Amino acid sequence: MRLLRDLVRTPEGAIGLGILAALMLVALFAPVLSPGDPLRITGRALLPPFTDPAFPLGTDRLGRDVLAGILHGTHTSLAVGLAAALAAIAIGLCVGLTAGFAGGLVDEGLMRVVDAFQIVPSFLLALAFVSVIGASVPVVVLAIALGAWADPARLTRAQVLSIRERDYVASARVIGMHPAEIAFREILPNALPPVLALSAIIVAAAILTEAALSFLGLGDPNVVTWGSMIAEGRNILRSSPSLSIFPGIALVVTVVGVYLFSEGLTKALSSRRLEP
Amino acid sequence: MTIATLSRRTLLQAGGTLLASTALPTFAIAQGAGNRLIVAADSEPKNLNPAIVASNGVFFSASKVVEPLAEASFDGKDGLAPRLATSWEGSADGKSVTFKLREGVKWHDGKPFTSADVAYSALNIWKPLQNLGRLVFANLEAVDTPDATTAVFKFSKPTPLQLIRNALPVVSSVVPKHLYEGTDIATNPANVKLVGTGPFKLTEYKPGEYYRLTRNADYWGKGEPKLDEIIFRVLPDRAGAGAALEAEEIQLAAFSAVPLTDLARISKVPGIKVISKGYEALTYQLVVEINHRRKELADVKVRQAIAHAIDKKFVVDTIFLGYAAASTGPVPKNAPEFYDASVPTYAFDTAKANALLDEAGYKKGANGTRFSLKLRPAPYFNETKQFGDYLRQALAAVGIDAQLINADSAAHQKAVYTDHDFDLAIGPPVFRGDPAISTTILVRSGIPAGVPFSNQGGYENKELDGIIAKAAETVDTAARTELYKQFQKIVATDLPLINVAEWGFITVARDTVQNVSNNPRWAVSNWSDTALKS
Repeated sequence: MRLLRDLVRTPEGAIGLGILAALMLVALFAPVLSPGDPLRITGRALLPPFTDPAFPLGTDRLGRDVLAGILHGTHTSLAVGLAAALAAIAIGLCVGLTAGFAGGLVDEGLMRVVDAFQIVPSFLLALAFVSVIGASVPVVVLAIALGAWADPARLTRAQVLSIRERDYVASARVIGMHPAEIAFREILPNALPPVLALSAIIVAAAILTEAALSFLGLGDPNVVTWGSMIAEGRNILRSSPSLSIFPGIALVVTVVGVYLFSEGLTKALSSRRLEP
Repeated sequence: MTIATLSRRTLLQAGGTLLASTALPTFAIAQGAGNRLIVAADSEPKNLNPAIVASNGVFFSASKVVEPLAEASFDGKDGLAPRLATSWEGSADGKSVTFKLREGVKWHDGKPFTSADVAYSALNIWKPLQNLGRLVFANLEAVDTPDATTAVFKFSKPTPLQLIRNALPVVSSVVPKHLYEGTDIATNPANVKLVGTGPFKLTEYKPGEYYRLTRNADYWGKGEPKLDEIIFRVLPDRAGAGAALEAEEIQLAAFSAVPLTDLARISKVPGIKVISKGYEALTYQLVVEINHRRKELADVKVRQAIAHAIDKKFVVDTIFLGYAAASTGPVPKNAPEFYDASVPTYAFDTAKANALLDEAGYKKGANGTRFSLKLRPAPYFNETKQFGDYLRQALAAVGIDAQLINADSAAHQKAVYTDHDFDLAIGPPVFRGDPAISTTILVRSGIPAGVPFSNQGGYENKELDGIIAKAAETVDTAARTELYKQFQKIVATDLPLINVAEWGFITVARDTVQNVSNNPRWAVSNWSDTALKS
């Protein structure tokens, strides 16, 4: 709770949290705001925006409602972004904790694997993964997580290396606590804050990667995503630019929101650590 | 002085950046050279020899260099205009065809063109190596050459002259025997450095940049070619062709290099014309391929219901923006010789589709869905992908849940034509002028798995197979045409696949280019009469 208060006290945190909360609401209530399949063909094709109250943002090449697409796209983008970041951080934490705590050969081995994943550009990895396995939402989530878990793993390991030399860890060891208990109860909670600050950046990157995959036609074709909307609009960019601009704006707002939130979170965490 | 040097360097650097950013060769004298036509090309085939690879991508540039025996024509006899052959005649038993060849024709290297070249091309390349020639010349046994201007094709089984005539423009590109004999044909350097008899010589090829075709002064056509040079400039980005036309960097973009969605805008630009003629012999068909192994789809009522659920008018008007026609059956209207309009048709009628599905015993479940299908749209065209999006919605309206699966070309072909991992697929097969070498392959049974663009849906109809086999050997043109009319009726009734629409490509050219689209396969013909108005 104190963290939240600190967060809201920073201007970045307040704005970021506001944007994210609004987007969450839109994502949750999209089925209520625009019921039915957003990919349904509902009107005349290529209706310009702001001309028909039934389609405030107009319709696309096939006559699908652009507003419905953007509302439902929020759900896809946030869900994929959060799930991918969650998966990446979970993997990263486990690997980093194991490597840092176990040390020795295990550490060496795990860190070389991390190196391997850091060397390959994460977007290429996601591209290859999706094109081999086939596009569906869980595969896309996994593909993005695969390219994003290495950074939290390294960060966690560095934290663990420093924390495990602290006195309270040594005393825990002396009183005979099980190593796993020490790792999860004494070290993990203290190693977590910087990794959490990183998580927001991973979410933003995941949302962008998902949009880029959909743009290249590697997203799930059965759900609407901002990336696929931009890709479809690209073909008629010169005659109907709004088809690419609206989902583009949605994407920008989301990513800016997540970044501001992450900035605020970092500030809140550092101010908290400065206190005695 | 320093200032002057500095500014010049800056200027040079800026110029360099500009050049690098466009990465296009600049033909400085493009306009001044008078008779040079610059055309957008979107692919660079590895093998340019049209005798081996009879595909539009190869023909586009190679057809100006290597000529066929005859070319398609709007008003010629049998729809043909003579090229290297001046006449052709079949025997009554269908076992031989006699070609009279043009006299005084020379290869680009100066050697005379004779019947030996035709015989060599037919027996050593068209029949064993060419993708389409394999089918047309399957029963070709020998080619007799009684004199230098006569070639007599001998077949072991009756081969209809109608089929050979229809296939001539595509399958009969003649290459020089003296360059190929005794070499490995597949790796012969002449496959890239083409030597032909055509109105233009291939003089330069810069990979990634352009092909340069130069006037053949010894061409047999009087006063032809009218152009001095044709440059095929490689512009792989589809959005680039329209802009290049507007900037007068190119004068012609064929094969719908300018996307359909851009046509309405570009047609209003002064000095540019949009032409939809000239592709009549290159008709693409938008087809829903059906996997008959699925229990639901094996029921003809379900297939009829799907046909009724598709609004062809929407497909033509919205997806193809009017540059297409609704199909009635497996033969397009552009093939008037075979086309039969009196077949069962399926009007857009959701209520009827729902009724048919109920009748077939697939009632709507609690969630409004009857059953679920895997739908694979072919990725080759924007339009096939958009039709996939549309079909999913059209099927949802009658309670069929279609799950789209997107894949790249290789994965799509493997999934559909080898692994049969689909329920419905959307394909754009080409109608090649004769049903024997195109549309019948999509419904005939007994084709092994792995043959792309063929019947891999497990459909089997003995009656239909019988008609197709009989037509392949029927020499009499009228009787053969009648068989194909029956074929159309059966396909339209039994719906082994659903033909939705048929379309050709669009050419966009500057007004200065003349004699554009004056034959049914103009983009892949020799352009000997194409001219530039100065």
